Amino acid sequence: MAENGESSGPPRPSRGPAAAQGSATAQAEPKIIKVTVKTPKEKEEFAVPENSSVQQFKEAISKRFKSQTDQLVLIFAGKILKDQDTLIQHGIHDGLTVHLVIKSQNRPQGQSTQPSNAAGTNATSASTPRSNSTPISTNSNPFGLGSLGGLAGLSSLGLSSTNFSELQSQMQQQLMASPEMMIQIMENPFVQSMLSNPDLMRQLIMANPQMQQLIQRNPEISHLLNNPDIMRQTLEIARNPAMMQEMMRNQDLALSNLESIPGGYNALRRMYTDIQEPMLNAAQEQFGGNPFASVGSSSSSGEGTQPSRTENRDPLPNPWAPPPATQSSATTSTTTSTGSGSGNSSSNATGNTVAAANYVASIFSTPGMQSLLQQITENPQLIQNMLSAPYMRSMMQSLSQNPDLAAQMMLNSPLFTANPQLQEQMRPQLPAFLQQMQNPDTLSAMSNPRAMQALMQIQQGLQTLATEAPGLIPSFTPGVGVGVLGTAIGPVGPVTPLGPIGPIVPFTPIGPIGPIGPTGPAGPPGSTGSGGPTGPTVSSAAPSETTSPTSESGPNQQFIQQMVQALAGANAPQLPNPEVRFQQQLEQLNAMGFLNREANLQALIATGGDINAAIERLLGSQPS
Amino acid sequence: MAATTGSVLLKVPRNFRLLEELEEGQKGVGDGTVSWGLEDDEDMTLTRWTGMIIGPPRTIYENRIYSLKIECGPKYPEAPPFVRFVTKINMNGVNSSNGVVDPRAISVLAKWQNSYSIKVVLQELRRLMMSKENMKLPQPPEGQCYSN
Repeated sequence: MAENGESSGPPRPSRGPAAAQGSATAQAEPKIIKVTVKTPKEKEEFAVPENSSVQQFKEAISKRFKSQTDQLVLIFAGKILKDQDTLIQHGIHDGLTVHLVIKSQNRPQGQSTQPSNAAGTNATSASTPRSNSTPISTNSNPFGLGSLGGLAGLSSLGLSSTNFSELQSQMQQQLMASPEMMIQIMENPFVQSMLSNPDLMRQLIMANPQMQQLIQRNPEISHLLNNPDIMRQTLEIARNPAMMQEMMRNQDLALSNLESIPGGYNALRRMYTDIQEPMLNAAQEQFGGNPFASVGSSSSSGEGTQPSRTENRDPLPNPWAPPPATQSSATTSTTTSTGSGSGNSSSNATGNTVAAANYVASIFSTPGMQSLLQQITENPQLIQNMLSAPYMRSMMQSLSQNPDLAAQMMLNSPLFTANPQLQEQMRPQLPAFLQQMQNPDTLSAMSNPRAMQALMQIQQGLQTLATEAPGLIPSFTPGVGVGVLGTAIGPVGPVTPLGPIGPIVPFTPIGPIGPIGPTGPAGPPGSTGSGGPTGPTVSSAAPSETTSPTSESGPNQQFIQQMVQALAGANAPQLPNPEVRFQQQLEQLNAMGFLNREANLQALIATGGDINAAIERLLGSQPS
Repeated sequence: MAATTGSVLLKVPRNFRLLEELEEGQKGVGDGTVSWGLEDDEDMTLTRWTGMIIGPPRTIYENRIYSLKIECGPKYPEAPPFVRFVTKINMNGVNSSNGVVDPRAISVLAKWQNSYSIKVVLQELRRLMMSKENMKLPQPPEGQCYSN
């Protein structure tokens, strides 16, 4: 029957129309056929000679897809097309579709080189280049996630609201712009004290899911992180900007030497693609792709401008702290990577990371960054977004679960060092602090811009009072209370909880920016602490000062309580009904297809109005 | 054989179905994340097929291309095809030593319907790659294949 006829010619469907087309085309020699190339994201049509090879075809399409030919993998009818095949060989005729996969640099190189390298070259040398790149990776990762250091938070997808991501991208751009910032940041004693705690750093780094992924693929990185000596060296270097610069210079020199060695460039490239690129890609996902993805040989120098938060910088400074020591260790380990360039390669990688660290630190301290910070503090909405970011929350959770860690972090603040009394006071209050931080009321209060504004006003008022009428508040120390993000207006409560906020105040402007870094861990507790304790509304300065001299806390407390009560009385609670607040978000969720209003509302409340996080929550409750 | 005009259900002949699937594979029907075609263009029985799955993003399979062999037996499409991975993969339902896909573990194979096709099988396998239980399983290095 007809079926028999058809079964005898399997390729009939493709040959049929092709034959018809072929005869229809006027050209005698190589017929031009139109082949559609389809990627998961897009579809393009290409006209190529029928007898071209796959390699030629790839060259034609590489321009359109902005990739190199070796990144392109073509698939037709379930087979991968090899470069030396021809289109005809696979039966690709006019009007048919070929699938395209664009491999990002790291995979083919990383994966293919990994097996070979793991055996010989990268057994030890991998650890060095990888360790070098690790700092960068951790650099980019935490930065990408936009929160402090490793951040127990993860879900780079779960970035806080768009406001915050804009903020982040702004920050990133500014970071990239100026290296001096990095230096200044590094010199911030708070940063340094944080960096000096290897356990903390390791925790933060490990908590980062991308880091975890990277560690899965590159076990050497986990060795690096677990090696206390390396961590300590790294942190030390992080703290010493001069040393870092010195190392950077050496590294850059070695790197450039490496490039000139035959095969050295490949080693460099491998290093970059193996480690740094996944990191950069991961970090940069939300910022529109890895800016260095297409950078070839300049990748090494490119890493340097990778923006990061403070914590990121820690690992940056390379384990090869004393350059001579590292060089020797590097050389021994990297002997296999490339001839004489091996030693250079590892040190080069180190240099990269150190360079990156430098850049990051200097970037932080540009005036641009400062103004950014200012903007942030002025805009309570940003802070709200930041605070409600899932990762911030999980970080706070981890902090609260680990009160010692939190205590350590806060106590390391230079402010505290000057005032051991305060430290003592802070210590017991920390757990309560963190509890309050997590109180959703706190968060919602923090997220209410009017509340925040009011708090700031109070704080300013108290500051003025402090300077104008020190007699009223005897223990006030002018100048300490720098724009804390206010404390929630609410029942007065004990003033002491505010105490801890005080010393942290100077950092709070940076605090909420938490992710931004230097004040990282202490930042959120500080700033959120200021917002958190639902009781105290007094701005940081006053209460902190009042509580520090414990002997005088009585009258001060009373004064502040009175003030707070007066203020509270004057301001009616301003938190609107969550439904009203989230009206817009609810509409958006509805439009997206989340029809369960109750669940939407709950998710929105839990995430403080962050639509992306709310969606994640809603999806999380359904089986994927 | 020919469509049984008398019955309610239209039974499409095997080769007819497979030719249709071949055409679809060549035209790239679908979203471009799976591809399939005859293993041998001269195979008149249309039995041996090769398939390709592009690892879904944001999973451990991302950026990898998985090659499969699919065998459509004589009873296809009434009976499900035999599917096995050629590229090494670590995934629930796939035998880790030879890449054979366990038909009892994959829902479309276990509850096969004759309206299913090779495309459906490939897409289902890809969807399973994105499931929580699979998306993070550690994978062997890229490019390794099962020795037959």
